[in-house]
Amino acid sequence: MAASKEELIEKLYECVVEMEDEDVVDVCNEYLDAGYNAYDGIMDGLVAGMNKASELYDEEEYFVTDVLLCSDALYAGLEILRPHLDADESMGEAKKVVIGVVEGDTHDIGKNLVKIMLETAGFEMYDLGRDVPLDAFVEKAKEVDADIVAMSTLMTTTMSGMGTVIEKLQEAGIRDRVKVMVGGSPISRKFADEIGAEGYSANAVEAVAVAKELVGLE
Amino acid sequence: MHPLDQMTPNERMGAMFAGEPFDRLPMMPFVISYAPRVLNQTQRWYRASAENRAECQIAAYEKWGHDTMVIEYSLHGVPHALGSTWTDPENALPAIDEHLLKDVDDVDKIDWDIDAVRKENDPWMKMNIEATERCLDKYGKEVGVSITLPGAFSAASGLLPVDKLLRAKRKKPEQVHKLLKICNEAVKLVCEEFIKVGATPFLCDPVASGTIINESEFREFSLPYTQEVFKFCHDIGGGCGYHICGDTTKLTQAMSESGCDMLSVDDAVDLSYVKGVCGDKLPLIGNVSPNATMMLGNREDIYRNIKENLKQAYDSPCGYIIATGCDIPLPAPIENVDAFMDGVRELAKYPLDPAKWE
Ligand code: B12
Repeated sequence: MAASKEELIEKLYECVVEMEDEDVVDVCNEYLDAGYNAYDGIMDGLVAGMNKASELYDEEEYFVTDVLLCSDALYAGLEILRPHLDADESMGEAKKVVIGVVEGDTHDIGKNLVKIMLETAGFEMYDLGRDVPLDAFVEKAKEVDADIVAMSTLMTTTMSGMGTVIEKLQEAGIRDRVKVMVGGSPISRKFADEIGAEGYSANAVEAVAVAKELVGLE
Repeated sequence: MHPLDQMTPNERMGAMFAGEPFDRLPMMPFVISYAPRVLNQTQRWYRASAENRAECQIAAYEKWGHDTMVIEYSLHGVPHALGSTWTDPENALPAIDEHLLKDVDDVDKIDWDIDAVRKENDPWMKMNIEATERCLDKYGKEVGVSITLPGAFSAASGLLPVDKLLRAKRKKPEQVHKLLKICNEAVKLVCEEFIKVGATPFLCDPVASGTIINESEFREFSLPYTQEVFKFCHDIGGGCGYHICGDTTKLTQAMSESGCDMLSVDDAVDLSYVKGVCGDKLPLIGNVSPNATMMLGNREDIYRNIKENLKQAYDSPCGYIIATGCDIPLPAPIENVDAFMDGVRELAKYPLDPAKWE
């Protein structure tokens, strides 16, 4: 007997939590073949699974590697299901985030986690990578009409670059159109306030709630 | 020898390892990439020649009289010699630019030549060996030279981007072990080159830190390699120190099984905890906060931080060396480094007087 929609959604969820980036493809295909709705499979299966993975990371049950592998399963599944979204059901006008590690710093493990978590939450991500020239944040934000500019750094020596980007956003005349989020181990709420960044969080899981609040999603 | 000391660093360290009395606790703040600040030079200048490197370390030692000079072979020395490229910033530390491997399976496609790290083949190694010799020629009778170099796990992350390394560790562990083995053989050669000229390797492995991998992964992918390196160093008559940046609290027991002669922990770790786990096995090094205290603090903060550390670790059974938790950040005011040295001379003079730390 064919599996029920609920059973398959449960399987999709498990594939992500259990980091099964190959099995997830089969389950997605089975799900589509049975004629079930792609949007539900994404939201209640894949994305719910990734949210569980974030929770486990927050509880130190999962480590960086686990989160990376869960996200691989998530992306593998999304690739199959996304093309089958009905036009009116598409994920809506996704909010856009430009993210990167500021100039002078190449620590990118934390930034990558933040990117994964925001992507899971439905944000459209533009990743500039590490050691990103400060002007590049502004240029990209203009180019894609970003809702949020998110900056990461782990070095005290490069923190000041974040303030410079905010000034540059101002000079470019788009400061009132984007929200700015900052994070990384030396960053604090206080520092964020000082440079005039609206958003700060100490970890990737909270970053999602902060981002949603900034763009009025929750 | 510093005018305020009664023993040379070599005499003091010797006494500590022998369990004999000495004049003050040894101190090893990480005056590594920070050294050119003493001569008002840039990082690029500091990387340019053996003369420049040695001159900065010598000037720093003459100014402060701390208990080791340090030649920075660097975390990226091994991956660079094996084929990754690095950046050359004017006043910051180099970072890996292009990783040699794009995928872990590339490990099979490369005709590895680990002798590439030897001084005959690698100008960077040659320069650092010469810098070490210059330091030892000048002051070797009174103070030793430590060498920073990467552990296998961090070296591997300079050959294969870290997110790929982490994934492969789960998906293709045998390939990762192949890569780690190659890195480790290279690391051993690096140790050998420096031990031959009389220096002490100090293995640093930030990518094996506790916020990135957990204890069981550490025991599988890092510890056995590190143990092999330290055994190798001892077999050829050298010593070895061990440092991992960041929060390594949960790795303490495992790190203490590495076979190192001294264990250094970052400011995210509580020294009294480390003392409880392994203070009876080896000397501890740590851990004045490089950022909060050395860079952002003032003289008073530095004294306070030294006192906290002393209270936590002065009675560690195998000895305690006061240090910063990690590299002193380049913008830290030079007066703060002065204050660190003054603080140790004042607060950690023998006989130790805990009343001074209240
Ligand atoms: C691993 C590591 C490395 C690796 C990095 C590999 C990589 N590709 O990222 C390597 C070996 C390459 C490295 C190199 C160096 N490192 Co390093 N490194 C670390 C270490 C041990 C762990 C960092 C890490 O990845 N943590 C795990 C992740 C998951 O945590 P995280 O990054 O904090 O991210 C979380 C949050 O901060 C937050 N977050 C992060 N970004 C953002 C962004 C936003 C918008 C938000 C909302 C949230 C957010 O969410 C994340 C997930 O929850 C730290 C120690 C520490 N205390 O952090 C030192 C550390 C960061 N390194 C340091 C230094 C000094 C260096 C070097 C200069 C060392 C040297 N002497 O060569 C070079 C720098 C080269 C360069 N120019 O960039 C110092 C920085 C000190 C300073 N000046 O501020 C640290 C703090 C060590 C120390 N105690 O001194 N390092």
